[in-house]
Amino acid sequence: MGAKGSTMQLLKSYILPRVAQWAVVIFIGVTLTFLIPRFSPVNPVDDMIGRMTAFQTIDPQAVVAMRATMEDLYGLDGSLLEQYSNFWGRLLQGDLGPSFQNFPTPVNEIIAAGLPWTVGLLTTTIILGWLLGIFAGSLVGYNQHRRWAQTLERIVIVVYPTPYLIIALVLLVIFAFYWPVFPMTGGAQGTPALTWAYISSILRFGFLPGISLVIGGFAFRFIIAKALSTTEIASDYVQYAELAAVPKRRIVMSYVIRNTMLPHVNDLALSLGSMFEGALIVEAMFGYPGLGSKLFTAISNADYNIIMGIVLLSIVGIATGSLIVDLLYPVFDPRVRLR
Amino acid sequence: MGTIIEANNLRAYYITKAYGVERTVKAVDGITLRIQEGEVYGIAGESGCGKSTLLRVLLNAYNPPLTVVDGEVVYHLDGERVSAADMNEERQRDLRWRTLSYIPQGSMHVLNPVRRIRDSFHDFISAHRDVSKAESFALTAKYLRDLGLPEKVLASYPHQLSGGMRQRVTIALATILWPKLIFADEPTTALDVVVQRGVIQMLKDVQQKEGSTLILITHDIGVHANLADRIAILYAGKLVEEAATQTILESPRHPYTRFLIESLPSLDSREERLSIPGRPPALDRPPSGCRFHERCPLAKDICKTIEPALIEIAPRHFTACHVVEEELSHASA
Repeated sequence: MGAKGSTMQLLKSYILPRVAQWAVVIFIGVTLTFLIPRFSPVNPVDDMIGRMTAFQTIDPQAVVAMRATMEDLYGLDGSLLEQYSNFWGRLLQGDLGPSFQNFPTPVNEIIAAGLPWTVGLLTTTIILGWLLGIFAGSLVGYNQHRRWAQTLERIVIVVYPTPYLIIALVLLVIFAFYWPVFPMTGGAQGTPALTWAYISSILRFGFLPGISLVIGGFAFRFIIAKALSTTEIASDYVQYAELAAVPKRRIVMSYVIRNTMLPHVNDLALSLGSMFEGALIVEAMFGYPGLGSKLFTAISNADYNIIMGIVLLSIVGIATGSLIVDLLYPVFDPRVRLR
Repeated sequence: MGTIIEANNLRAYYITKAYGVERTVKAVDGITLRIQEGEVYGIAGESGCGKSTLLRVLLNAYNPPLTVVDGEVVYHLDGERVSAADMNEERQRDLRWRTLSYIPQGSMHVLNPVRRIRDSFHDFISAHRDVSKAESFALTAKYLRDLGLPEKVLASYPHQLSGGMRQRVTIALATILWPKLIFADEPTTALDVVVQRGVIQMLKDVQQKEGSTLILITHDIGVHANLADRIAILYAGKLVEEAATQTILESPRHPYTRFLIESLPSLDSREERLSIPGRPPALDRPPSGCRFHERCPLAKDICKTIEPALIEIAPRHFTACHVVEEELSHASA
């Protein structure tokens, strides 16, 4: 089989089925998001309007427009099939409707405002916690009998079951209240610009929420990496490389870690995909202007369009994440190619 | 040619302690042997007789619970006599692959499944020599060519190779730095006979090219007949007979060795082969006296109480058996 033949084979038997799977998952997810409000025993539009006009006065014109968009969005206007196709039509144009809370600001705008904060904060912290956890966990697994490894493991075992909101709270109280080296809430200071002052303020504001997310992610990853490497060091190829006096650093990197990468990569892609939900609690706690805060406010105000927008985004995010993992599998494990 | 490695009254036990109960398995119990430079020394015996334990101790690569309780292993390295127990870790690591190497059993997964063969070679070569990746690739390619292995295995992953090819690649990986002393543990087990033949030929080539010493451990007397210059027969952690291959095959003296040789099929006779009666003893409570007495048809009272010593019954032919000893003394009297 030539190189071209095997590439075609890979495309046909591996890549295409997975892309199809991805499309199906998104299709089902979006369909469910469309159907669920429809199956609700209460008319969500009346319910919504009633709730929104109960305690505050809203511009009647806005109420009419709201009813129209909501009926359209919830599929209460015309036949089911018609609305379903309309729903898709609007979705494909990237139209998620207006926010109820901040009418008539489009949901798109609100999500777009929160997205960079969340993506910035979570990409950095997820990847950092992931990398540190794998390295530290694998090293400890490899050096199980060393004193430092046992000490580190004991510390992590205490940290691991602690909910990260507790860690966040402790950090907040210590470093923002009693010893105010970091700001208590917010995302940045000053006008957005590519200046050191602005960028450093992003880092300063992001530090506490970031570090509490890193600690949580690290502890989880550490424990998994340690467990995986413990079985790995008993394998014949690690034992043989040790017998041959292959340097320990090489054994940890190319033998132990490299062979345990598959589940780690899997988890990473899934957690990167789920980041569109934002880090709900941490963001709410630190008043961080990301998607988590938006979702938190939207839930407490029953702002369905925003909730749906964020849910759709995370469906696409998680599905795409697992697609990327599937496509990367052959890179991390050559044996996958044959399956 | 001088001695390259010797074991003096070596005792290596597995000492385990679980829930306060101590258990000692005497896997190697008082073995003395001397292996000459450039020879192929076969160690034979049934499963659980301590072959692999002996090899681990000779290779100086053992960890608790395996403990050397008595005796020593001595290497003769460039005229220097070095006791294995006296070497620090750095010296030991330094010796590996350059001087001492190890070929594991073929069924083992000793090649890193996510690394191409050439990268595994680079890992092992660069651990002992200051080489660039390109240099070790060139060295590996040349070596594989010399051994008649297809060059395309270099870019392959282990799972893409057949069992026989994997074993040949492992032999090449173990001997790429031309070690003086090669230990092979059941190198042909789990391979079919046609592939076995290729692997045996390859071991022969490797050994003869640089005149390395090969210590070959297998239960398969046929493989020993093909390769070994001398054979040691191990039974229940003890050396019961040692002689040149031909002597062992043609005129074995120890009853156990005789059973072993008689059990081999031959082309001339079609009669049914007898198996050795009984089963090998458990090594945590070995029998008293001669460890074979429970299964030995010739056993006398003395065999049950007194352990026979390994004596030279003919030039370079050693055996440990009261019956043989008595016969000899009668003959000379």
